[in-house]
Amino acid sequence: MPGTFCACSTPMGQSGIAVIRISGDMSGTGLDDCFKIIRTAGSAKVISQMEGYTAALADFIDPSDGSVIDRVVVTRFTAPHSYTGEDMTEISCHGGNAVKQEIFRVLFEKGIRPAEPGEFTKTAFVNGKLALSEAEAVMNVIKSESSGALKVSNSQVFGKLNSELSEVEETLYKAMSLIEMIVEFPEHDDTPVNTDRVREMISSAIDVLIPLKESYAQGRLLADRLRVALAGKPNSGKSTLLNRLTGFDRAIVTDIPGTTRDTLDQDIDIEGIPVRITDTAGIRETDDAIEAMGVERARSSIREADLCLFLVSPEDPEDEVISQLSLIRSGEADIPVVLVFTKSDVGINPSYEKIAASAKALGIEKSMIISALSDEGIDLIRKEILSFYDSLGSTSSTVVISGRHAGLIGLAADKLMEAGSALDDGLGEDIASSVIRSALDDIGAITGKTVSSELVNTIFSDFCIGK
Amino acid sequence: MNIKEALEIKDSFMAGEYDVAVVGAGHAGCEAAHACAKLGLKTVLFTLYLDSIANLPCNPSIGGTAKGQLVREIDALGGIMGKIADECAIQMRMLNRSKGPAVYSPRAQMDRHRYSDVMKCYLEKVENLDIRQAHITDLLTEDGSVTGVMTESRAVYGAKAVVICSGTYMESRTIRGGVICESGPDGLPRSVGLSASLEAAGIPILRFKTGTPVRVNSSKLDFDQMTRQDGEYDIPPFSYDNEMHGKTVPEDQVPCWSVWTTPDTREVITENMDRSPLYSGVITGIGPRYCPSIEDKFMRFKDKDRHQIFVEPMGRQTNEMYLQGFSTSLPEDVQVKMVRSLPGLSEAVIQRSAYAIEYDLVDPLSLTPALESKVVNGLFTAGQINGSSGYEEAAGQGIIAGINAGLKVLGREPVILDRSQAYIGVLVDDLVTKGTSEPYRMMTSRAEYRLFLRQDNADTRLTPVGHDIGLIDDERFSLFEEKMRMIDEETERLKSTYIGPSDTLKEILESVGSVLPPSGISLADLLKRPKVTYELIEGVDKDRKPLPLYVTRAAETDIKYEGYLKLEKEKIEKFSELESKRLPEDTDYEKIEGLRLEARQKLNRLRPINVGQASRISGVSPADISVLLVYLEMRKREEK
Repeated sequence: MPGTFCACSTPMGQSGIAVIRISGDMSGTGLDDCFKIIRTAGSAKVISQMEGYTAALADFIDPSDGSVIDRVVVTRFTAPHSYTGEDMTEISCHGGNAVKQEIFRVLFEKGIRPAEPGEFTKTAFVNGKLALSEAEAVMNVIKSESSGALKVSNSQVFGKLNSELSEVEETLYKAMSLIEMIVEFPEHDDTPVNTDRVREMISSAIDVLIPLKESYAQGRLLADRLRVALAGKPNSGKSTLLNRLTGFDRAIVTDIPGTTRDTLDQDIDIEGIPVRITDTAGIRETDDAIEAMGVERARSSIREADLCLFLVSPEDPEDEVISQLSLIRSGEADIPVVLVFTKSDVGINPSYEKIAASAKALGIEKSMIISALSDEGIDLIRKEILSFYDSLGSTSSTVVISGRHAGLIGLAADKLMEAGSALDDGLGEDIASSVIRSALDDIGAITGKTVSSELVNTIFSDFCIGK
Repeated sequence: MNIKEALEIKDSFMAGEYDVAVVGAGHAGCEAAHACAKLGLKTVLFTLYLDSIANLPCNPSIGGTAKGQLVREIDALGGIMGKIADECAIQMRMLNRSKGPAVYSPRAQMDRHRYSDVMKCYLEKVENLDIRQAHITDLLTEDGSVTGVMTESRAVYGAKAVVICSGTYMESRTIRGGVICESGPDGLPRSVGLSASLEAAGIPILRFKTGTPVRVNSSKLDFDQMTRQDGEYDIPPFSYDNEMHGKTVPEDQVPCWSVWTTPDTREVITENMDRSPLYSGVITGIGPRYCPSIEDKFMRFKDKDRHQIFVEPMGRQTNEMYLQGFSTSLPEDVQVKMVRSLPGLSEAVIQRSAYAIEYDLVDPLSLTPALESKVVNGLFTAGQINGSSGYEEAAGQGIIAGINAGLKVLGREPVILDRSQAYIGVLVDDLVTKGTSEPYRMMTSRAEYRLFLRQDNADTRLTPVGHDIGLIDDERFSLFEEKMRMIDEETERLKSTYIGPSDTLKEILESVGSVLPPSGISLADLLKRPKVTYELIEGVDKDRKPLPLYVTRAAETDIKYEGYLKLEKEKIEKFSELESKRLPEDTDYEKIEGLRLEARQKLNRLRPINVGQASRISGVSPADISVLLVYLEMRKREEK
């Protein structure tokens, strides 16, 4: 699919630095007026003059009013020497949400579209930047990620968005059919022109789309906010569980209690939902100063989390577990806690029932038994996190949590306004209808309902966007 | 059956050898045969009845929304429908004038009898073309390829390619109430046996239904009770060749009329619904939704108490009038009552009654985008046999099937028009990729790129294609190039000519509610304003030279819609990228790991020619398309 596309290739959420990648013809001259170069190795005045593999310190500017959005480092890659094999520009900006959002807004206004999920990787392969031996892996990634995307679209947050967009689609199809009827059967007097109705329908669609687009500001936070803290006594298996969930050894795992002395953040995807897992140091009284700092951070992580998984291993003494649980409960009363009995491969402690009963008294109802080593129960954890995510969706109004979706909704809204003014200006039903069709294509790229021939790329899941 | 077996049948004989045999001389067959003959191939055109060549058995008109665009496209490719229609038109109109140039649609009323006659006389003079009245009953094949056809009278014709354009004639039967006749349309003989012969060769056969309304004698009609609709004179002929030679539409045009059904009409129909073969289950074929019988309209749109009926002349001399919108399969006695319930028709005498007709067709999913059968090599089909409806849709397929049959014999690559090039491309792609469950009618809303697929630029899109194929001669092509040059020059002039503010300009702009610009403005920028037209700004355009209307209109449209056309072109670019990715014929989709099961089965069955076509097959998801793209890249590298 031609055209220039962009995405943030660093994980969602707050981070020190965020990297926004742009691939395609417009990534050079098309963006010259967005950067004011402050310092660079060569003599380039604008980014399109920069040589491949060089970087510049620059101000990222909104060309519509000349205001500076952020001071960034911009790196240029010229075709075919780039990740995708096309001309590319990478912007390293400050990681705040507002900054990223503003940069994307400018890029979208420039006509650069949000990348289809996984588009960078696919483009790289098709342009010969990835080895042949990777072909099958790429195909399988497409397959598994599109089924992942399907599951995401079945979640409540997306479900609500989908149903709102479906209503918009229905309205627009009706508006289009009103136009099409009079176009296809012009000689019939029984289908009079009803531009006012069409105009009304377009307006009502815009009235739904604009707030949706704007909800991204909040939706992004919702997505970022999904934090899961792993708590429990030292050596209760937190790091092992984290490694199981992420698929690689992030945390050092030993059987010496207190190995994790600091909190570890890990952004992972569970069936397309971005989740930040915080592996906290075990909470215990300690004389080790460094470990004590870790314990304090663990407490604050739990305070900030949306969901706390409290891990209990068979070796943990019953009374210590219960006292820690009540500690968490008293300190961070609002946080939902799930009891996770780990190391079921080692054995199941008969005291579990008692612990569960005491937990219940503290309002902690859920518990499960897992073995991170043998994978038993890992799926249960994933499901627990997903159902919690869904419950977030059910309590708030419809919000857009994906930048790609927000971009597409914005494009559709703009086109509908254009269709409206085409009708007002008497430009002709053919133009209006064509612009509405184009808006429907944008919405269809989210709902998947209009399988138009230009919707070429897979709906990969959102999480691998830009990678 | 092969030729040898055919010749073993008693009384059979070898009657001739041809490059291409075209079966059926309706609108598809005429175009197909003409195209083959023009390519220099020895061609034979078979018809069941020589006096019904290019018959118009339903409405006596050619063109209309989307259909008018088709006619101009056929002409731009070097086809004949536009020229014959220009010659036989008795009224012409441009539909959708107020709705923008993308949907302007020319339509002409035909002198129906004359159309058939002119086409016959024209084809008789075409070099390399023999026309033969014969009833083809068998397709002859050898090892999965066509070798010829055999007639009912056992005449065997050898052919390297065969184009079947059987219209609604294969195993047809007409239905009026409970009365069923084994007949073709218009009381003509039907085709018997060919359908079974195709089925025996492994071709999937379907059955559809369509219908046609009543014809009445005008002498007993009271036109004072009807609304008169006259033709228009300021519109181009269908044929670009005629247009470029300065020919205009006929000057003495004949009016059409319209009336509304009355409460009596509704009552007659409601009372007799139990005698409708559709509702009693006699008719099982699938009919079209967009062209329902009048009883269907009353039953399905219960909130509408009246429907519009058009009364159209069938020719200059004849009194016969066609009642458009009054198609029915109710019995003949009910038809009389229905017609007489209409204002101005209370004493009408019916000359031909309405009927529904059922017929056999080929499942278009068994065809390639070149309109060749995927089952029998060298067999092409076009028109209603492929599930379409309408003269123009038939002719559009006919020219494509004819061209590709001819190119196949010549050993050349097939010509496939894509969805961004022509309505013909949309039509063929829809049929062979999505199939159809009812007779397929072309509509402008089926075209994604209709701002670009206009009736005024069909030659820009297709005349170079026709020239490459060999259907457009050099003389016409140089005229076309001259036209393009004039359009470019005028567009450039309008863009580079600036005029200052003046009282004249102020007056002109205020007349359409626009304001005077503070400083100089280009003529092109003026034209981009709403309601400002080329004619309107004549007063301030001092350097304007007299140019043909087709030049100024084209320049005006290009400027006025520049922004939208640019967006459409971008969309077309995206679309073309997938269209250009060809899928190798030997692809085994079962073996492509990443494809979903449904996609594997559908792709293996339909065998699309490129990734674009694959993406339009129902059941193939965007994820499957990404997998195909990666698969293609993998193959490309493995072959290196």
